[in-house]
Amino acid sequence: MQSRVVITGIGVVTSVGTGREQFWDAMLAGRCGVSAVESFDTSGYSVHRGGEVKGFDPAPYLFNLDAARLGRASQFAVAAARLALSDAGLDCASLDPLRAGVSMGTTSGEPREVERFNDSYVKDELENVGAEFIGRYPCHLISSHLAEELGFAGPNVMIPTACAAGNYAIAHAFDVLRAGRADVMLAGGSDAFSRITYTGFARLGAVAPEICQPFDRNRKGMIPGEGACVLVLEPLKRARARAARIYAEVGGYGLSCDAHHMTAAHPEGDGAARAMQQALAESGARPEDVSYISAHGTGTPTNDRLETIAVKRLFKEHAYRVPVSSVKSMLGHTMGAASAIEAAVCALAVHEDRIPPTINLEEPDPECDLDYVPNRAREHRVSVAMNNAYAFGGNNASLVLRKCEV
Amino acid sequence: MKRVVITGAGVVSSLGDTPEALHAALCEGRSGIGPIGLFDTKGLGCPLGGEVKDFDAQKYLGRRNLRPLDRTSRLVASAAQMALDDSGWRAEMRAVEEVGLVLGTMFCSVRTISEFDRRALEAGPAYASPMDFANTVINAAAGQTAILHDLRGVNTTVSTGVTSGLQAIAYAVDLIRAGRARALLAGGADELCFESFYGFDRAGLLCRSDGHEGHYAIPFDARRNGFTPGEGAALVMLEEESAALARGARVLAEVSGTGCGYDSSRGRDERKGVESIAHAMRFALYEAMLRAYEVEALSASANGSPGGDRREALAIAEVFGQHARTMPATAVKALLGETLGASGAMQVIAAIETMRDGRLPGIPQLEEVEADFPLVPARHACPNVDADNVLVNSVGFDGHSCSILLARVEG
Repeated sequence: MQSRVVITGIGVVTSVGTGREQFWDAMLAGRCGVSAVESFDTSGYSVHRGGEVKGFDPAPYLFNLDAARLGRASQFAVAAARLALSDAGLDCASLDPLRAGVSMGTTSGEPREVERFNDSYVKDELENVGAEFIGRYPCHLISSHLAEELGFAGPNVMIPTACAAGNYAIAHAFDVLRAGRADVMLAGGSDAFSRITYTGFARLGAVAPEICQPFDRNRKGMIPGEGACVLVLEPLKRARARAARIYAEVGGYGLSCDAHHMTAAHPEGDGAARAMQQALAESGARPEDVSYISAHGTGTPTNDRLETIAVKRLFKEHAYRVPVSSVKSMLGHTMGAASAIEAAVCALAVHEDRIPPTINLEEPDPECDLDYVPNRAREHRVSVAMNNAYAFGGNNASLVLRKCEV
Repeated sequence: MKRVVITGAGVVSSLGDTPEALHAALCEGRSGIGPIGLFDTKGLGCPLGGEVKDFDAQKYLGRRNLRPLDRTSRLVASAAQMALDDSGWRAEMRAVEEVGLVLGTMFCSVRTISEFDRRALEAGPAYASPMDFANTVINAAAGQTAILHDLRGVNTTVSTGVTSGLQAIAYAVDLIRAGRARALLAGGADELCFESFYGFDRAGLLCRSDGHEGHYAIPFDARRNGFTPGEGAALVMLEEESAALARGARVLAEVSGTGCGYDSSRGRDERKGVESIAHAMRFALYEAMLRAYEVEALSASANGSPGGDRREALAIAEVFGQHARTMPATAVKALLGETLGASGAMQVIAAIETMRDGRLPGIPQLEEVEADFPLVPARHACPNVDADNVLVNSVGFDGHSCSILLARVEG
């Protein structure tokens, strides 16, 4: 008999707030975290705005590790993990370390470490690069540092499936718990703002100059951001036994690959529809049961159009009745953290029956004609929420969360 | 619980590009480690690596357009082609059924990422290469390989350092057991490149060798002082047993158990390190419902690292007790170097060959182990190891460990 798995804690570090309360208030208020990029000089670029987390101080969250030893994405992740555990009312000392694990996702890991390496390389001063490159760069260090800070000795995995990584990481944690390999899993995603990522998207012509406007007729692209989200997942039995607050149950997930193009989605949304279908089938929900979809919704002309096609393909007429919103309108695209943050949004939507808006929606696009919850948050009964994410490499992942029926 | 079997294998290594060639070289004690041609090693503490010489992906992939693929992607796509051919999963079958890919890699290509950034730094952001950008994500090789081979099933990248490839196989086994996937290629890859090599060197992790005969990274040897980096790709095809038999597949071995552990002290506390490695082995034994003494051969992860090799040996002693003194054990990284993401999968492929012909590779340069080492791995290849059950270990330097049990399948 496989355990049912629930979400009992949420920790986030974002450009609009750190910690579940501040973050959710900002989401419902439609607050935008995009601002002028400060972490590097953008004068050589045609775009200058990003969703940076400004003024982040990791010190309050690190008791065992020294912040100077950690890359930025690791710092975000540890902070989000501490916040999530506290939100769940869980004390590390009460956990069996062998039964507490970590499953995290990322797009780039710690790209600033490569940037530092290169800064020395181009000046022919490579001798300035020391042990810290290998000590901070490899992306698995994000989940390693989490476990090191918290003393967790259970299953530990990093799943760097780019912009869908958060969903993959949460899905894996779900499986680990159901297989009885752990009693609690921290799952989520983290990414740090970097010139490598910004340059890449800018060079693809994919970055919007001012605001991110998912599904809007005049949308000009995505806006790179950064942040982290960590969720506490545990078996329903354990959550009940300790009278934990349960945000939502993980109903199921679906993973697929377009096998079509590295950066462009399949034109008929085939892979995306398959992932959604699998997630629904596993959770025992039909398309008509879905009360909210957190879209991938990057704000690029192509993604938003293709995503709409995929949703219509699966949901048919019901597509017009289910609200769909993209919080990337507020945060920009936080890469590997995005789908984890959006899973938190779904969990909170399920818990509170409120859904965040897609802000900056000024003019509807005839090709994107669904209900995208324009500009204002809404009260709406959410029994089943779906979280969709699509990544470079054609990696598609859908996660279904539902109210935990006792 | 559903039984998961291996129905094919593909490998690109410094010792050959077929399981048979790799196995023959290992058993003959031939080393794939030598002077590096891929980049300039001047000024580096160790000028040696396990490079895949004269690697030409076109040889395996035919006339396909490989320009968008970097070295790591080419290694993976090549190994994938061979594993697909070996398992009989032809293109027309893949068009109808979704075959997936779970790839373990520590870096994917840190070289591609670095070069992308350097070009932008030197020439300006307007000159960065959009094609290269697609390869700067750590799941790039898995994505490129899926496109080339029409792999529309689950596509996941697992990045846990040295253990990436073995953990990828464990992840894939779990998906098949849960009924989430029909057939999955799983394993790992990493390429030899200046950036990671330099990083390891600066961190003091590499074997201080002047290249003289006998001065290589020697697993378990008392003189060991670090590892030698290698590269390659190795993938196995995993399927549920009855489905594999129903389509007439040739079964190479069964994956009977897997286990993972994590050392939260990351090597600083020997006890914690030993416990985490032992936990991984015990969990694999528990899943396979095997007693420790029923394991008839062991493929260790040891790569010449002073602390890592010791922790693994102590863990083996704890789990196997007296049996550890006579159980045949090997450490193929002695001859392949540390191939990171590829390593665990290469060990699995080599172990399958051992189950097939009874030969277990030795550790040619091994002379003496530490005084309190309970494990006595062989210097020379063992010619007649009759192993129904082989344990494969993967142990990383940042705390991860993973163990997989392979069972021989009759017929």
